Amino acid sequence: MTIAFEGVRYGYAGARQPALDGIDLVLHSGSVLGVVGANESGKSTLCLVAAGLAPATIAGRLDGTVTIDGLSTAGARPYELAQRCGVLFQNPVTQLSGTASTVWEEVAFAPRNLGLALDDVVDRVELALADLGIGGLAARDPQRLSGGQAQLVALAGVIALRPPYLVLDEPTSQLDPRGTNLVSDILAGLVEATGAGILIVEHKTDLLARMANRIAVLETGRVVAEGPGKEVLADPRLEDWGISPPSGIRIARAAAAAGVSVPEVAA
Amino acid sequence: MDWLSRQFSTRVIVLMPIAIAINIAVGYTVQTVLKLPIYMDSIGTILVGVLAGPIAGALTGILSNLIWQYAPGIGGGTIGPFAVTAGVIGLLAGLWGYLGVYRPRPASGTQLYGAALVGVAIILVLAWRIYTSPVYGGDPSTGGYGSGVYLVIVGIGVVAALAVGGFIILRRDAAGAWVAVAGAVTGIVAAIVSAPIAAYLFGGVTGSGVDLIVAALRQGGADVFNASLGQGFFSDPIDKTITSFVVYIVLASLSTRVLARFPLGERIAGSAAAY
Amino acid sequence: MAELEAPAAPSAPSDGSTAISGRLPDFVARPPTGPYRRLNPTTKLVIAFAEALVAFGVRGWTGPLVVLGVILAGAVTARIGRALLPYLLATIPLVASILLINTFLYPGATDRIVTVGPLAPTWTGLVAATQATLRVVAFAMSVALLGLTTQPDHLIADLERRGAGRRVMFVVGATLRMIPRMIERAGEITEAQRARALDTEGRVWRRARGVVPLAGPLVFGALTDVEELTMALEARGFTAPTRRTVLRVFPDSGWERGARWALFLGSIVVLILSIAGRLEFLP
Repeated sequence: MTIAFEGVRYGYAGARQPALDGIDLVLHSGSVLGVVGANESGKSTLCLVAAGLAPATIAGRLDGTVTIDGLSTAGARPYELAQRCGVLFQNPVTQLSGTASTVWEEVAFAPRNLGLALDDVVDRVELALADLGIGGLAARDPQRLSGGQAQLVALAGVIALRPPYLVLDEPTSQLDPRGTNLVSDILAGLVEATGAGILIVEHKTDLLARMANRIAVLETGRVVAEGPGKEVLADPRLEDWGISPPSGIRIARAAAAAGVSVPEVAA
Repeated sequence: MDWLSRQFSTRVIVLMPIAIAINIAVGYTVQTVLKLPIYMDSIGTILVGVLAGPIAGALTGILSNLIWQYAPGIGGGTIGPFAVTAGVIGLLAGLWGYLGVYRPRPASGTQLYGAALVGVAIILVLAWRIYTSPVYGGDPSTGGYGSGVYLVIVGIGVVAALAVGGFIILRRDAAGAWVAVAGAVTGIVAAIVSAPIAAYLFGGVTGSGVDLIVAALRQGGADVFNASLGQGFFSDPIDKTITSFVVYIVLASLSTRVLARFPLGERIAGSAAAY
Repeated sequence: MAELEAPAAPSAPSDGSTAISGRLPDFVARPPTGPYRRLNPTTKLVIAFAEALVAFGVRGWTGPLVVLGVILAGAVTARIGRALLPYLLATIPLVASILLINTFLYPGATDRIVTVGPLAPTWTGLVAATQATLRVVAFAMSVALLGLTTQPDHLIADLERRGAGRRVMFVVGATLRMIPRMIERAGEITEAQRARALDTEGRVWRRARGVVPLAGPLVFGALTDVEELTMALEARGFTAPTRRTVLRVFPDSGWERGARWALFLGSIVVLILSIAGRLEFLP
């Protein structure tokens, strides 16, 4: 049970360079794959391609194949893909559907779109709210939440479809520290709660150190390193690729440079 | 009907509320806060028409007026019935979109000055047509209105011609001529469609600053319908031409990557494809 | 957890039975109460539509006066008579314009009321002015009645249940939510321009220069949101070909449905008759 990239190349419509240039990657269910890379390395594109939104929604050209549990994303309709792979973006507010006056209805948006039975819709909303611990926000206006809360509501809206895979594109980058902690705590526990396979793009390597089983490093549209989380984060080439290692490692290295011996711990 | 459903892709559906809200917000701010004698409530309509097509544009216009009329809090007045005009504006904008009117046309030298000349000429011709329109009481030399009205028309015509010519030359972009023509034509059609609505439903008065123009025309002897038409010929071409340029400037600064995702986007993308 | 749900299963036609909707939280499923208010939202919309049609379509005194009477009856039933007052007051500037311009400047009329210097108000003008005023006031009151008794969300939900496309309803709903924020943003931009010494009170030319700087940032700020929301909507099944699950059903009895159709068709018939000149006998 995987999302598999095979020889994936992707170029946006009207662009000269491909954003992804030969990606071979596998995401397993029940595990977390972290993706790091400098700006413009293709991380966001990777998310869109993984979820099948590229090229289905934004045109552009896809070479190679992306298969979600055996189904190729090429030619699949977005609403079919929505049930297989959910996506969460950076900006919490622009993801709100703008159709709901309460969080409850916002979370119900996706199940309702698919025409599921009302009982089913209610079940899913309640479960999603419970999984993320935001049942108390159910009656609130989604437009009036803090960044972290809004992001969790968006996430609830996504998992209401119970997709076996989740793709998260820098979900905490527009949140303040409090929001970041809120969201990252929940994410960390999500795999256990739902058994989903999660692909998470993040700058915050500390966060990935906690969450990710495996990590892939992207540079100019290619995977330059991939392996177990702790190994990749300890790789000395990380900074060359424009990525700041987790604080534990940075501290250890700085200490070593000062002649003090401190064990290099990724966490 | 694929042509129709393509006009209403998800992206267009997302753009429409934004366009409608811009229509209402800018219209409200310009008319009520800045108190200028223009409408500026069609930016979104023309934007959608050019990017997505005539039906999407028309629907944007119609919904803008209806929602503005019935929206709790800011609604009211005489806006609702002019949804017809707004629909026509959107339709025309779609036509301009198909014709590629809003595509940048970088030019230089004789081509550039030629375009500037064309633009200036068309503006002056339109101003002249309005100047001598029977609606204003006919030939000024044989009576009709006080020279004030005519002077203003001439003045606006000259300023508009200079602005359009300057735009073309300073930006080295011949598209200015097309944009000006599209705006002026839209304005004239809008005036013709609006006049019966204003005259028969509201007695020729719509409660905005332009009523002063209506009063002046009535004083000169124009009946209810002709006064409304005269006021329309006065305000609408100016308003729609300015709007046309605003839309053009906005579109010209969007990257090809963004434009290409809209149904008519490729017709707008210039040769200088900025990614 | 990894099962797929088949989207093909149509939603159980919720007819409002408590067994199903009883599970919906109160804040989602609370129906409106009170006379007139508890009419089906579409009925209230049709009423507003008919009122507008008759007020504008039937010339003379009858149309607007009948409509005003009906509105008053509705307002009293819904106990919002007092609430109509601000809406009425809001029409005063427009009404004043209509009365002044038409009474004093009505070319072609010769029946003067009085001649005071250059001013020559005419009876014909006054009649035309008053009729136009009544039309405008009747229309404004019909809008007010709808606005005061119907929540937009309810109306949108009901229309969607009846088959109005989810995309049109999305546009209407999203617009309503966006308007206050957009007006606020426009105000902020204008304030910022003002702070940069762009005069909003000064001569027309200075104020006019404020237009493009206003429209530009407003449009750009909004366009950048389009991409993400488009993808978010697609990712949540917005384009699925199924009918959206209905959350709440507003009561709609047989006689209400019949009355609604009668009103809808009747007002159209009246309009046609009026255009065809068959209603000239009415004052």
